[in-house]
Amino acid sequence: MSNLKWVGMALGVLASASAARADGPKELWHYYAAGSEKAGIEALIAFANKQNPNNQIVGKVIPGNAVEMRRQLQTAFMGNTPPAAYQSSMASELKTFVDSGKLHDLSETWAKIKGDEIFPEGVQRVVKIGGKPYGIPYDLSLINNIFYNKAIFEKAGLQPPKDYEGLVAACDKLRAAGVEPLGNAGGPFWSLYNFYAPLVSTVGTEGYYKIASGELGFDSPDFRKALDLYRSTMVKCYAKNWSGKTWTQTADDVVNGNTGMFMMGAWAAAYFKQAGFAPVEKFDVFPAPGTEGKAIFQMDAFAVPEGPADTLETAEKFVISAASAEGQAAFAIPKGSLAPNVTVDPSIYDAVGAKFAKELADASKANAVLPNLFFLLPTKVGTELGVQMEKFAIDPSDANENEMITTLEGLRQEALTEGSYLKW
Amino acid sequence: MPNFQLMRRKFQTEGVTHAVFLSLPVTLFAVFYVYPIVSTFNLSLHSWDGFSPSPKYVGLQNYVVLLHQSRFFHALLNNISWLVFLLLGPTSLGLLLAALLDRGMKGESVFRVIFFLPFTIPAVAVAAIWRWMYEPTNGLLTTVMRSVGLGGLAQNWLGDPSIVNFALMGSMMWWTTGFAFLVFFAGLRNIPVEYIEAARIEGATPWQVFWKVSFPLLWPSTIVVLGMAAVDAMRLFDIVWAMTNGGPAYASEVLATQMYDTAFGRFEMGRASAISVYLLVIAGVIIMPYIYQLAKRVQDSEAE
Repeated sequence: MSNLKWVGMALGVLASASAARADGPKELWHYYAAGSEKAGIEALIAFANKQNPNNQIVGKVIPGNAVEMRRQLQTAFMGNTPPAAYQSSMASELKTFVDSGKLHDLSETWAKIKGDEIFPEGVQRVVKIGGKPYGIPYDLSLINNIFYNKAIFEKAGLQPPKDYEGLVAACDKLRAAGVEPLGNAGGPFWSLYNFYAPLVSTVGTEGYYKIASGELGFDSPDFRKALDLYRSTMVKCYAKNWSGKTWTQTADDVVNGNTGMFMMGAWAAAYFKQAGFAPVEKFDVFPAPGTEGKAIFQMDAFAVPEGPADTLETAEKFVISAASAEGQAAFAIPKGSLAPNVTVDPSIYDAVGAKFAKELADASKANAVLPNLFFLLPTKVGTELGVQMEKFAIDPSDANENEMITTLEGLRQEALTEGSYLKW
Repeated sequence: MPNFQLMRRKFQTEGVTHAVFLSLPVTLFAVFYVYPIVSTFNLSLHSWDGFSPSPKYVGLQNYVVLLHQSRFFHALLNNISWLVFLLLGPTSLGLLLAALLDRGMKGESVFRVIFFLPFTIPAVAVAAIWRWMYEPTNGLLTTVMRSVGLGGLAQNWLGDPSIVNFALMGSMMWWTTGFAFLVFFAGLRNIPVEYIEAARIEGATPWQVFWKVSFPLLWPSTIVVLGMAAVDAMRLFDIVWAMTNGGPAYASEVLATQMYDTAFGRFEMGRASAISVYLLVIAGVIIMPYIYQLAKRVQDSEAE
């Protein structure tokens, strides 16, 4: 008898614990663990909670990156305890979760925030899967600009180059002056992001989307032409030993005057500022050759998993606040990123940020806003493209070029058969 | 005449007691060890992105595909190089340091702490420290080499596919030698002084004393150190992942990092499971006979 009583008590405790869980704080998972990023997300959460006093949300850091986030989410979905909302990459990343029925359709919320009006067309494409919105854009960074050290350029008598001949000539001049011309960093992203400029120069905006949808093959003459252009320009300019550095180490090289230029995402501007390297005064940017008038971007969005009604309510209220002009500014100012919402007042940006904002606005008008190809491709194709591009940039031999084309084309065929390509 | 009934009852109650005591560890073993292995094997027969409700059965396809990938064999080869390195490198350096310190140096306790300290640092912190040491232009290693006139030999430590594995091994050496050192040092201190003195009186040189007396008596410590090294080589993950993510371009990949990348970087849970089953089998083939052999020698030496 007494045994039964114990069992009953234990069950009671467990039941109350799980009830407490359901009533507990609604969580927003993200991986902004430090620095300006952390300040940005905290400012945004504070703003949203002030707007929605009855629907508080609590931020939770998942240390790491998109890959760590996937691992955590997978476990959470298995245990049926997903967060109210989370930081998600765009396009293919969202698609994987949508295909498995895990994400909440945000069509109603999208209508309330007038998503079709406040976000540029290129931005809308990558959060809509099958025509329905599944993510709310909030953290956008351009990745087609080259940062340069102004003092070095002045000393060498250089102007920001406009085309590839100009770029190569500038590199030669810098090298002759004892400065490494163009920085780059190890890992599967940075060489690939640099390659987008020669790629767009060769295949144009349309071709770029054709590669994303699997229509244009990696074995096409155009793709090889883009690789050859990359090899004879940027790869030739890269600093010695670039592959052994992280991107922050290369940014330090620019600050210290060892390296003249660095093609990196707009987040490098925040890093420079933190290092006491002032925008426009110490460093400036110019669009990589062939990308003038265009904007290639990397972006994160908030995704909302399916869940109980009250959790969904909190999540929806949060993303509505996050999409508003004030919410977007609350995040963008500390983080140093761009607000995807075009109604945000451009005066919130510093001088370099304002240049990025103008590039994005101009590209929007010209319908030339291009999302990061990495996330448009099926996940395994995009990841392999990044790895192969790093290998090619380290050793741009014909053998590596051919191997890259064969490997990627094989994966493209495989993904086409599996139907994992999408027309964005 | 013995009371059979009493004996039987005693046996029965003892049996129940044993069963009760065994139930917890057996349950833990089954739930947290056997079940995940069976479940991983089952998953390796499927194609699954980790999220969709129904994994697709593909039979042995994942295993076959891996056998046709040079990427897989490259990672396997790296694991084997790590095995050779971990069996020889930190082990012999640890033994050397232990032997030096055992000769009764001044400040012995200080050196003991210094040698062991790196091993107490978490892997991710070790990786962060060495990422900076190995920075190819202004990192500590390159700067020191330059200042002593060896700048020409400085390398692109973590960025050159043909160098990166040696660089990683260097940081591993710094990190794990302390463990080997401590085990050997404790082992040396446990050797009865009489044996050493007897050998000396017989006229043995210090070199002979070490190789003919101390080293054979160190066998139990050697087993621990070598056994751990072999296990470490097979399950190697953290140092590689935290320092290079297996890069540049797969150059420093080992099976565990490839499994992680395949599972969460590319959403191929089935194929990642197949890698882990291969890893389990390979680790079993490499480590089991070795542990068996070593354990037998311990038994023999204890019996003597």
